[in-house]
Amino acid sequence: MAINEETLMWVEKYRPKNLKDVVDQHDIVESLKAFMRKPKAMPHLMFAGIPGTGKTTTALCIARELFGTQNWKNFTLELNASDERGIDTVRERVKDFSRYSRGAFGDVPFALIILDECDQMTGPAQTALRRIMETSSRTSRFILICNQSSKIIEPIQSRCAIFRFSRLDRTAMVEHLRDIGKKENVNASSEAIWRIVDYAEGDLRHAINALQTAAAYKDGAEVDEKVVSQIIGEASPKQVQLMLNKAINGDFIEARRVMYDIIGIYGFTGAEIIRQMQKELFKISYITPEQKAEFSNILGEYDYRLTQGANSDLQLSALLAQFARVGKALGDSS
Amino acid sequence: MKNDLWVEKYRPTTIADVIGNEEAKTLFVEWLENKRPTKKAVLLYGPAGVGKTTLVNVAGNEYKFRIIEMNASDTRSEKAINRVATPATSFTGLDKFSSEIKGNLLFLDEVDGIAGNEDRGGVNAIIKIIENTHTPIVMAANDIDIEKLRPLKKLCVLIKFQQTRIPLIIMSLKRICEQENITYEFEALEKIAINSQGDVRSAINDLQGLSEEGRTLTEQDTLALGHRNKDISMYDTLKNYFAAKNTVEATNILSYSTVECDDLLMSIGDNMSKRYTDPTKLAEAYNYLSLSDVFRGRVGTENWHLLKYVYNNLAQAAIVDPESYKPFELVTPPIRVITLFWTKPKRTLLTNICTKIGTQCHTSKHEAKMLFIPYLRLMLQQKKNTSTLIKWLKLTPEEVTFLTGLKMF
Repeated sequence: MAINEETLMWVEKYRPKNLKDVVDQHDIVESLKAFMRKPKAMPHLMFAGIPGTGKTTTALCIARELFGTQNWKNFTLELNASDERGIDTVRERVKDFSRYSRGAFGDVPFALIILDECDQMTGPAQTALRRIMETSSRTSRFILICNQSSKIIEPIQSRCAIFRFSRLDRTAMVEHLRDIGKKENVNASSEAIWRIVDYAEGDLRHAINALQTAAAYKDGAEVDEKVVSQIIGEASPKQVQLMLNKAINGDFIEARRVMYDIIGIYGFTGAEIIRQMQKELFKISYITPEQKAEFSNILGEYDYRLTQGANSDLQLSALLAQFARVGKALGDSS
Repeated sequence: MKNDLWVEKYRPTTIADVIGNEEAKTLFVEWLENKRPTKKAVLLYGPAGVGKTTLVNVAGNEYKFRIIEMNASDTRSEKAINRVATPATSFTGLDKFSSEIKGNLLFLDEVDGIAGNEDRGGVNAIIKIIENTHTPIVMAANDIDIEKLRPLKKLCVLIKFQQTRIPLIIMSLKRICEQENITYEFEALEKIAINSQGDVRSAINDLQGLSEEGRTLTEQDTLALGHRNKDISMYDTLKNYFAAKNTVEATNILSYSTVECDDLLMSIGDNMSKRYTDPTKLAEAYNYLSLSDVFRGRVGTENWHLLKYVYNNLAQAAIVDPESYKPFELVTPPIRVITLFWTKPKRTLLTNICTKIGTQCHTSKHEAKMLFIPYLRLMLQQKKNTSTLIKWLKLTPEEVTFLTGLKMF
């Protein structure tokens, strides 16, 4: 491809290609290397951990080590469980793929199937997945990726070697960002990089995207803390913040209107919106910690009702109405 | 007894007493007498309250059958049907020779009510029983144009019942008034009969509800009759619901409404902030609405007995502050539906972009939306050195314009 490498997404460009380059997961890498020396003995794997800690990267590195940098794509099927329309699609694709790549390559007698976001699968889908794993075990190895292994049914867990990816060490993240900056000829101040790492909360992709955006803003000039703050501001969920502020200031009607703006464009579920609200609530500076706790409990109550109810819009509306009630009372008393 | 329901007190006791539908009555009696070689089962169908159930009972008695009845209030799973019906239809009983009883007659009322999960396999069970039966089987239904009854219809003699004619209903009402010593204006009986739309049962119920001993029933009295089966629209339901003064009134409005439960919940949610302007009252009302939705969730597709809790909470939400009611302009088309309709093109664009990001960056659409879109749109807004990035992600000009102008969620 005749594309100028300078301007691709850096998360992809600097995704480690070899296990040894994976950032800050040394123990896991060491154990995995043992499997790489005797691939026939490799069991199904499960990678669990918060986003941006290297789970997908590690899985892709394993594919490269097993099948070589030339061929790995032919023997690796990458599926996003939450994107595929259902377990039937997964089953069909796995079946077709494992048939096609049977008797695979050199010393490795199986094909690799990487299934991302498995914890988003429903219980019945997971049970079906377990069957698929059994029936294709002679031709395929699975790497299942999830945020919480507890959301995966026991029979699947017991079939996998489970690796828990911990939150990345901040110093390791800083080093990695510096390294990318050097390669991209981006001059970034130490404060700027630490500010990014603080904001990313252990998610390396988040940090790299922020750095790349900051570099685009400065276009060659030094990336300083100021531009990082600006980016963080621009990339923060402004409409969720607006909705929260309107509700807390007692303006229910406007808050509900913003809610529908967000739902309309982004198609978020009720649970996703509540998660965002929870995050943003604690960043608000004009209410006390006690008041935040009160609002947070309302969020918790409606987060639960959402799981019980039928229509998430009603629950979100009711939630905003409770916020407006409490917020109005605060405004009157102060 | 004075307190008896008149529909029961004056229920016909002979075939001749059943008013109207003479042709259907003749067909049924002929089938029962088995005059011609015919099918083993019969299906009576037609509107409610015209005498189907009554006819089966009186004719069964006149022809000395022991009637074994199952109706919609019984659960009619395959198992339940077989438990009652198989013994009833497979042997005729010991007393066949010793008494006047001719044998059993299995009567399945409201067969169109066999539905979904509760009556799993119900229709098939009935078919099997018809195929093996030694005794007559009678079924009744309001609506037989439903898909699941199709195989059943083939095995039955179909007899259609029509709305009872108005003059016949008036005659019945007259007779009852005379028996009960009620004086009346003829126009009053006429109004009740017309209003019943051919449903004798409801006409008799209305007559009993409106008349008082020692007082003449006037045409004026009949104004109190609600129009039966009237389709109460969303607009009327909402209008009356929000104006309700107490839970009884609110409950009545909800139970007479023909608006579908989910649509109603949504529209009440859309109008709540117009009804209650005080934040405390609004929050209280929404709390009830939220609980109503929680019960709706628990109802799901099978626990319909929980539906009353949905409506109880809805009724509460209507009367949080009855004094504050002022008429307001109602929003009837659901805001959610309208919003999702108008924003659909944008949502599709966003989903497509996220799929493209996902393919290139090994990530799901969801993660692309949360983690890449916020930054990608900022990079594109800079408009410098973006062409190769756009090419790499295979974004169309339309998608680029959309992303550049996209507001953060």
